[in-house]
Amino acid sequence: MSVSGLSKRYGTVQAVDDVSFEVAHGEVFALLGPNGAGKTTTVELLEGFGRPDAGRIEVLGFDPAARTTSRQLRERLGIVLQELSVEPFLTVRQVLQRNAGYYRSPRPVAEVIELIGLADKADTRVKRLSGGQLRRLDLGVGVVGRPQLLFLDEPTTGFDPSARRDFWALVRSLGAEGTTVLLTTHYMEEAEALADRVAVMKSGRIVAQGLPTSLAGRDLAEARIRFRLPPGTAPATLPLQLSSLDGDVCEIRTSTEITVLRLLTTWSAERNVDISGLTVDRLTLEDVYLTLTGGRPGTPSQTEADR
Amino acid sequence: MNAGLVRPEPAAAGLRQAARDLLLVARQLYYEQISFWRNPVGAVFSVGFSVVFLVLLAAAGGTTKVASLGGIRAIQYYVPSFCAYGVMSMCFNTIAIVLVVRRETRLLKRLRLSPLPTWVIFVATVLHALVISLVEVAVLLVIGRLAFDVQLPKDPIALVLALVVGVACFTALGVAVSTAIPNQESAGPIVSVMFFVLLFVSGLWYPLPPRSLMASVSDWFPVRHMITAVFAPFDQHPGVAPIRWGDLLVMAIWGSAGALVAVRRFRWEPRRR
Repeated sequence: MSVSGLSKRYGTVQAVDDVSFEVAHGEVFALLGPNGAGKTTTVELLEGFGRPDAGRIEVLGFDPAARTTSRQLRERLGIVLQELSVEPFLTVRQVLQRNAGYYRSPRPVAEVIELIGLADKADTRVKRLSGGQLRRLDLGVGVVGRPQLLFLDEPTTGFDPSARRDFWALVRSLGAEGTTVLLTTHYMEEAEALADRVAVMKSGRIVAQGLPTSLAGRDLAEARIRFRLPPGTAPATLPLQLSSLDGDVCEIRTSTEITVLRLLTTWSAERNVDISGLTVDRLTLEDVYLTLTGGRPGTPSQTEADR
Repeated sequence: MNAGLVRPEPAAAGLRQAARDLLLVARQLYYEQISFWRNPVGAVFSVGFSVVFLVLLAAAGGTTKVASLGGIRAIQYYVPSFCAYGVMSMCFNTIAIVLVVRRETRLLKRLRLSPLPTWVIFVATVLHALVISLVEVAVLLVIGRLAFDVQLPKDPIALVLALVVGVACFTALGVAVSTAIPNQESAGPIVSVMFFVLLFVSGLWYPLPPRSLMASVSDWFPVRHMITAVFAPFDQHPGVAPIRWGDLLVMAIWGSAGALVAVRRFRWEPRRR
C-alpha cells in the first residue's frame, strides 16, 4: 500500500494535507494522532469511501476510488470501523455466515468464532452482547473474508485492560499469518505492542514516522533518574548536579545512567542514608507523541531544549 | 490515476459471477427476513397493525352497507383497503425508517465497504418488502374470508399486479423519503405523519365519493390509487374492470420519481459527521 501527496478538504477544514507513507506486505502500521487529526479520513480514503482532492493511493495494486475494480479490492479488504455496527436481531453465527457469503474464499465461520473467543455466545443475538463482545464480533466480521489487508480504526476504545490485551493477541496472530494491518489508535501502548512502524498525524499532516522504538530520536534521548531528596539533606551535598528539583523530587538527566546510579548508591551506602522513590526511565512513546502533537507544555524534550 | 493496474475480470467469468450474485440476493433476503421477524416492532407494527385495524373496523361497522360502492358491505371494502395499507406501511414506513436507522448506526456504511454489489443490496430490499407484503395480504384475505365471509377477488392476477406495482412504487418512495430525514429520532414521527395524512385524505377508512374535494386532492398522490387498484379485483359488480391501468400508471410515475430521487440523493453515511 502506498500513499503520496494525499489531500482531502471538508468545507473549510483541510482534513488531510499532503500525506505520504508506505506499508509493506505483512506489516502492522499504526497511524497515531489526537481526535480530528485526520486519521479516520485517511483510512476512509484508503478504503475507497470518498475521493481524495489530490494525491495518489494504491492499495494492493488497486486504486480504491475506481468503481470498476472496487469489488475485487473489497474482497481482499477487512474493515473494522471506529463505531460498532452490527444488526441487532441476528445471532453471532448468522452475522458471520451472512458476511462470509460475500467473499470468494472465506474463513470457516466456526474458526472465526473460535478466533474471536465467542464460542459460548455463537447463538446469542447480537443485541444481548456486551460492548467488548460486540467489538470482537466486529473484528470477526472484518476477518471472515480472509483479508490480505485489515483496517482497524481505533479498535480498542472503551476496552478494559484485559480485553485490550486479548484483542492485541488476536491482532498479532493475524499479523503472524501475513495479514497486513493498518491501525489507528490514540493509545501509545497499543501502537507499541502491535505496530512495526508508526506515523504521527497532527492537523491533517504526518509530523513524524518511524519505528516505535526510535520515533523522533526517542532511543537517543537521555535517561531520566528520579528520587526523593533524603530528609535533612541539602541538594548541594549530593554527589551530583541535579537537573531539576520539584518539591523533594530530584531529577537527573544523563546519557550515562549506570555511572550516575553507582555514584548515588555509593554515596547512600557511605552515609547510611536511604534513598526512596528511585526510578529510571527514558522518554516513553507517549512523551514523544505529546511533544509532537503539542498535547502538553513542558514535555521532556522541550525542557531539554530550554536548557 | 492507477485504475489500469488491475483489469476488471474477463467476460467469460461473467456468467458464473451472475449466478453467484443471484445466490447473494437470496441469502441477503433470507437474513433480512430473519432480522425482520425477530424485531417485535417491525413485525407487530407492520403486519399486526393492519390485522388489528381490520378487526376493529369490522367489529364497529363491517356490515354497514356503502351506498357509493353499490350497496356492498363495508368489510368488503376494508379487506382490500387494508391489504393496500399493509403494503404501503411495509414498503414506505418500514423501509424508510429502517434505512434511516441503518444509515445513522453506520450499518449502511459497513455494507457499502463490503464486497456486496450495490444492486444486490437494493434488489434484496425490494424483494424483502414484497415478501412481507404478500404475507400480510394473505393473512388479511384469510381473516376476511373465514371471519367475515368476504368474497375473494374474481381476478387474482389483477390483484397480484396491483400489489407488485404498489410494492415497487412505495419502496422507491420509502427510500427517497429516507434521504430527506436527518436522524433516527425523527424518522418515525416524520414518516408516520406524512403517511397518515395521506391515508386519511385517500379514503382508507371509508370509500371516498368520486369527484368529492378529498378525492380530487388525493388523486394527485399515489395512496388513493393504490387503494382503488387493490379494491378493483374485489369489486364484484358486473362491468367493473379488475385492472385499473390509470391507477397503475400514476403509481409508476410516482415510483419512478421516487427512484430518481433515491438514486441521486442516497447516502451511506450518517448525516452528522
